[in-house]
Amino acid sequence: MTTQLSDPVPATAGGRPPRRRRDRRPPWEEPPTPLGVFGKGVVLTLLVAAVLVPLWAVLVTSLASRETIDAAGGMVLVPREVDPSAYVTIFNGGQITRAVWVSTVVTVVGTTVSLVLTVLAAYGLSRPGSVGHRGLLFFFLLTFLVFPGLVPSYLVVTGLGLKDSLWSLILPSAISVFNLVVVRAFFMGVPGELLDSARIDGAGELRILTRIVLPLSKAVVAVVGLFYAVGYWNAYFNSVLYLDDNDKFPIQRVLQSYILAGQSPSVSGAAVSLPGVTAYPPTLAVKMAVVVVTVVPAVLVYPFVQRHFTKGVITGAVKG
Amino acid sequence: MTPPPQGASTDRRTLLRLLGLGAAATAGGAALTGCSKEAGSSGSATRSDAIRAVLPAHRPADLLKPDIPGEGPIPDGYLGYPRQLVDAVTEQPGRGGGTIRSMSPWWGPTPPTLGNNSYLAAVNAKLGVDVSPSLQDGTTYADKLNAMLGARDVPDLLSVPNWEVDKVARFSDAVRALFEDLTDHLRGDAAAKYPYLAALPTGAWEYSVWGGRLAAVPFPTDGPFAWALFQRRDLVVKAGLAAPTSPAELHELGRELTDPAKGVWAFGSVFDMVQQFYGCQQTWRRKPGGGLEHKFENPAYRAALEFTAKLFADGLVHPDTVASKGADEKQLFKAGKIIMFQDGLGAWQGVQGEQSKVLPSFDMQPVPVFGASGGPAVIWGSEKPIFFTFLRKGLGADRVDELLRVLNWCAAPFGSREFELREYGVEGKHFTRAADGSPLPTDLGRKELGAQYTHIGGRVPVKVRSGDTPNFVRDYLDYYRKNIGLMEKDLFAGIKLELPANWSKLLQPTEDKIRDILRGRRPIGDLDGVAKEFLASGGEEGRAFFEKALADNGR
Repeated sequence: MTTQLSDPVPATAGGRPPRRRRDRRPPWEEPPTPLGVFGKGVVLTLLVAAVLVPLWAVLVTSLASRETIDAAGGMVLVPREVDPSAYVTIFNGGQITRAVWVSTVVTVVGTTVSLVLTVLAAYGLSRPGSVGHRGLLFFFLLTFLVFPGLVPSYLVVTGLGLKDSLWSLILPSAISVFNLVVVRAFFMGVPGELLDSARIDGAGELRILTRIVLPLSKAVVAVVGLFYAVGYWNAYFNSVLYLDDNDKFPIQRVLQSYILAGQSPSVSGAAVSLPGVTAYPPTLAVKMAVVVVTVVPAVLVYPFVQRHFTKGVITGAVKG
Repeated sequence: MTPPPQGASTDRRTLLRLLGLGAAATAGGAALTGCSKEAGSSGSATRSDAIRAVLPAHRPADLLKPDIPGEGPIPDGYLGYPRQLVDAVTEQPGRGGGTIRSMSPWWGPTPPTLGNNSYLAAVNAKLGVDVSPSLQDGTTYADKLNAMLGARDVPDLLSVPNWEVDKVARFSDAVRALFEDLTDHLRGDAAAKYPYLAALPTGAWEYSVWGGRLAAVPFPTDGPFAWALFQRRDLVVKAGLAAPTSPAELHELGRELTDPAKGVWAFGSVFDMVQQFYGCQQTWRRKPGGGLEHKFENPAYRAALEFTAKLFADGLVHPDTVASKGADEKQLFKAGKIIMFQDGLGAWQGVQGEQSKVLPSFDMQPVPVFGASGGPAVIWGSEKPIFFTFLRKGLGADRVDELLRVLNWCAAPFGSREFELREYGVEGKHFTRAADGSPLPTDLGRKELGAQYTHIGGRVPVKVRSGDTPNFVRDYLDYYRKNIGLMEKDLFAGIKLELPANWSKLLQPTEDKIRDILRGRRPIGDLDGVAKEFLASGGEEGRAFFEKALADNGR
């Protein structure tokens, strides 16, 4: 009996602490079978490949020469050479550089505006007894269910004089109610005693928010900030509606124009011949180079925010 | 443990209350949306005699004699670029009006805007008035139009592709409310004031009439056929094979050319062309006993479907085409991975010119048309213009005159200096000349030009030989001449149809079902069910609408 109940890790000489279990598997679970490990390995490899292979193909194609692309009949998987001419082409044109700049400005300004508005609104709505919060929350949640519609939105934006202004890409989508609910739920998890003690020490609401609530909510702010930033970076449709000035197009809009260039529109059973339109479509390498340019920022930023991701989202979600 | 939130919480009861209100609001919203789409959904047809009464009197502009004169809807052909250009417009169109805002579709990277674009500056200097073009993505144009027209926010000149007209709710109401009635400016001999607009084909003008009034300037098509079946003739000849003259030969040719080990399949999308080979109409044809017959009711359609499904079943169609609607067949065709596919004839010169630089032996040719079922083939086509240009309403007669003068400049025909400036920009800057005198665009030309003036002004269509496609004009016009006699007569030519909403909604889902049958995901026998369902859920309504349109016009 005693031997069975004794610690499975043998005491080591010299008083060294016991070695930590490498797999952190609870002692009552059986060790995995080789078949199980193999199966998991296969499934995970396939999943990873499903994500990485398309990215790889985009990258390799963007660096492939025209001959390689023609030989492959489209997307290239096996690199034969590194030909940067597609990147030279797009950065020489001026349009991509300008569009990246526009998207960066919209993303930075938009994310800041959105975060400030969301945090302020979420804080107000998370405090019991704040003025009119029931009604306000109701209106916020209502937008989950009812979309204002294309034409009314367009009328509001043009009526505010935002048409052809970069603000038209920011203000109509400045607050996402989903993010607001997540942040609000997180704020409601901050212990009331902390806030009460701050109040006793004479802190006002703004000080409580900036000195106590926000420092405790870094995770959710980081995650929601990422949601907003990715949203602004990827935003496309508002620019279709509200921007006539081609110089203000964001990168996604330009990407779309590159990707679909040269394809004849087909209309219920008839291809349309467009004189002059299909004369100089960009090559596949150029199209893929633009894709790379649009994907890179997200790929660069994500690892820095990733560590907050699980905590921020899960906490917000389960406390709703 | 954190205490449960108080005060601002949404407990179950609050949530239910919220949902209840929300649901009511949603239902209300849906009802309202329903109302807005209801009107005008039963469609309308304008009588053809009413249309003829408002058309401009046609006056051809004989600026340059064509090498191969066109006939009817076939464009004129030129086998060389003219050495001597003429001034087509002697008086500056601008009358001191303010900047003209225009919007037109474009399928490609957008050029710089006014102020940063030397091409726009050069053309505007000629026009004597600033045109500030906004180029919008052609693939999302309908979304933009829906919002703009709904909000009554339109530019001075708006170009609308013909296929977007059906996608915009209550388009004819929008035309009446938002765009200038051009009838008094262009009817009959009044059009002589704008000679190059008067030179546009009458067939194109006929489609520009809404509600019995002339509402837009058309941009005529440069070839009425909807499709051709293209082949890589260089590869077919290399394989020692001859052009097919029957479905069996086409199938056999496909079998010979398909080699999955090398990644080569004979076919991309071909179904629309196969239907034409089998003599099937595009949509409706007259029944011998009177009334209209839909193509689903024509045995030729079933035969074409069976044949094409067999191509799929026998593995002769490229897997990308089998898998998706958006396969890049042009790219596969250029790479020799598919040998035959259908495309509009407009794609021909671009692909041939581009690819012959990489592969000099590259030879893209249409497969000669053959009748598959004993009778002759039927070629689908129409003279419908590609774009319509509308003028904003309420600008005043002087401004309308100025805008029409600008459009007249933009319609200047081939052989004129205006044409060259509009299509190629400034010599030495946007283009250089090849040895034969034809313009070759420079990098700046490719960057700054985006059909900004072409897509708003109609032009008499022509086909011109270029250095990289020496045989194209002859091949193109030969194909048209050989097959124009097979072109299906448009039963509704000259009648302006605005289709019932139910009809337009029905097309895509039905097309999807047919796609499934072709790919073997549904048995061929399902065609009867699909056809029956189609006729029951709007097809019969469509038939009644089209039959009435014919009867109203005494046809």
